[in-house]
Amino acid sequence: MSFLVVDSLTMTYGPLRALNDVSLTVKEGEFISLLGPSGSGKTTLLMSLAGFNKPTSGRILLDGQDIIAREPEDRDFGFVFQGYALFPHLSVSGNIAFPLKVRKWDAVRIRARVEEMLALVGLKSLADRKPRQLSGGQQQRVALARALSFGPRVLLLDEPLSALDRMLREQMQTELRRLHRETGVTFLYVTHDQQEALTMSDRIAVFEKGKIVEEGSPTRLFKSPTTRFVAEFLGENNFVKGSRANGVWQGFGTSFSLPEQRDSGEDAGSATLWLRPGDIGFGTGRDGDISFTAKVEDFVFGGTHNRLALRLRSGETFVASISADLVAEDALGKDLTFHARPEAVGVLR
Amino acid sequence: MSARTRNRLLMAVVWLFLLLLFLPVLVVIPVSVTDKSYLSLPADGISFEHYGSLTDPAKGWVPSFRNSALAAIATAIMATGIAAAFAVGAWIRSGWWPSAVRLLMLSPLIVPPIIYAVGMVRVLSKVSMLDTFWGVLVVHVVLSLPMAFLAIAASLANLDNRMVTAARSLGARPITIFGRVILPNIAPGLAAGAFLAFITSWDEITVTLFITARHFVTLPRRIYTSITDSIDPALAAIAAVLLIATMAVLIAQTLLKGRGARAGSAK
Ligand SMILES: Nc1ncnc2c1ncn2[C@@H]1O[C@H](COP(=O)(O)OP(=O)(O)OP(=O)(O)O)[C@@H](O)[C@H]1O
Ligand SMILES: [Mg+2]
Repeated sequence: MSFLVVDSLTMTYGPLRALNDVSLTVKEGEFISLLGPSGSGKTTLLMSLAGFNKPTSGRILLDGQDIIAREPEDRDFGFVFQGYALFPHLSVSGNIAFPLKVRKWDAVRIRARVEEMLALVGLKSLADRKPRQLSGGQQQRVALARALSFGPRVLLLDEPLSALDRMLREQMQTELRRLHRETGVTFLYVTHDQQEALTMSDRIAVFEKGKIVEEGSPTRLFKSPTTRFVAEFLGENNFVKGSRANGVWQGFGTSFSLPEQRDSGEDAGSATLWLRPGDIGFGTGRDGDISFTAKVEDFVFGGTHNRLALRLRSGETFVASISADLVAEDALGKDLTFHARPEAVGVLR
Repeated sequence: MSARTRNRLLMAVVWLFLLLLFLPVLVVIPVSVTDKSYLSLPADGISFEHYGSLTDPAKGWVPSFRNSALAAIATAIMATGIAAAFAVGAWIRSGWWPSAVRLLMLSPLIVPPIIYAVGMVRVLSKVSMLDTFWGVLVVHVVLSLPMAFLAIAASLANLDNRMVTAARSLGARPITIFGRVILPNIAPGLAAGAFLAFITSWDEITVTLFITARHFVTLPRRIYTSITDSIDPALAAIAAVLLIATMAVLIAQTLLKGRGARAGSAK
């Protein structure tokens, strides 16, 4: 039996389908990211799981039991909000103890658990502070400790890091991974930051307009997306037109063949090929590489890698990220040769 | 004119204004100890007999004081309760209807009391509540709602209402959420709201004059009647009592606050 199953959940706001037939199966202990652009329905799904909105149709099964009718306070799902929503009148310890007091744990057990949670999130020395005396990152930790203290079945996180600056965000990403590992709790993590989803999750479900367009491991989604939306949304990407006749591909102003795992084996009049900026090399490359000529239209210095805006003879433009040792500013305006390994090229039909 | 003289002049003007504000109020104190039997300054010595006459059952000061205290306390409790229920509800769920009801609640601030009084006389006479405690209570609660509501809404304004959602996800039920999450955060607002409602009821006169007669007489009404049909210095005595009580409360509060602030900064 599956741990948590979302079964064709639909939620409408008037004519708008905020969730459109969403299905998702979650294994116990997984770290799943719900990734998608703004307004794609991620928060709506999370709020439905927590019980704060009532879906129009569909089921949510926990251990095989439909929990749709259960009130939020009876679901035992932890929730971490973007703005933390800490209780301002309670100290750090008081916030963490709140769900335990509500559950009428005895005082000794509460004290022990609060200590344990404070150690887990590294806030022992700040236990008596009030939330307004804490930094954003520290408040975030309190919110996490509070939502984890009572041993929730699932931890729901709605863009918990979006209010933090970049350095702190990266630090908190590592922290969240560690918390996930140490507690073994199932994490459902909403984000619109694709980098965050790629680095943190066991699995990603990509949302678009109220639907899950694709789900899978970060590697699978990044290396072989099956939809243009995912190919474009996860990581940077370039798209050019291509076609296949008698097993030979045409594209990038040249012809080449693709390895089996990339090629469906059928000829196609027109298809879309994609190639990530980081997979493009300078020069003709090795035997078997696809090499092509393009004009450098723009040059942006970027430290170790410079970014080049290229234009093919066909007029199609794309971006390459090339090691700074190989090209310099004087490449601007020149026709140069670039290459890519065939395995790096993807096909969308 | 040098800066110094200008400064002195300014200070003089400020003091003049302060005295103008306060002196007429203080005049009740000497008048209350007059040795005459009419409102006047003491001439041949001072006498406390007018204070003694305040407790004279024939004069009715004590029952009116009790009535006013009763009405003001009941008003404070009810107005604070109703205003808090509405303010918290509107804070948790937003939408068009809280704004509509808010306007209705604040309307006593806009409608002149005299017009409200005319309406209330008709309503209360229909339900035979004219000149009763309950009639006065209803009217005073309505009149105090705006103040109580504004005080409570102000204390909710900078609270994040997702606290409620968070508390629910942590397993708290509505009563726990109100008692452990909302109440501790709005307690000062509730106290301020109750205080304002108390004051509103305590010195309400316009509408009260219309809806009471001889049965349920409030203190302001008693003072009003005494000033219109007699010149008994007991009036000055009751005014002095109220004045001194109010000053005592204010001074105590200022001292307490000062100590609180010092304790806070020492920490
Ligand atoms: N209470 C509501 N009433 C009407 N429409 C709503 C309501 N809540 C959400 N929506 C709509 O539902 C859609 C999905 O919203 P949702 O908040 O789930 O998006 P999201 O993926 O979380 O976006 P973001 O990344 O911006 O948080 C949006 O178009 C939004 O406008
Ligand atoms: Mg959202």
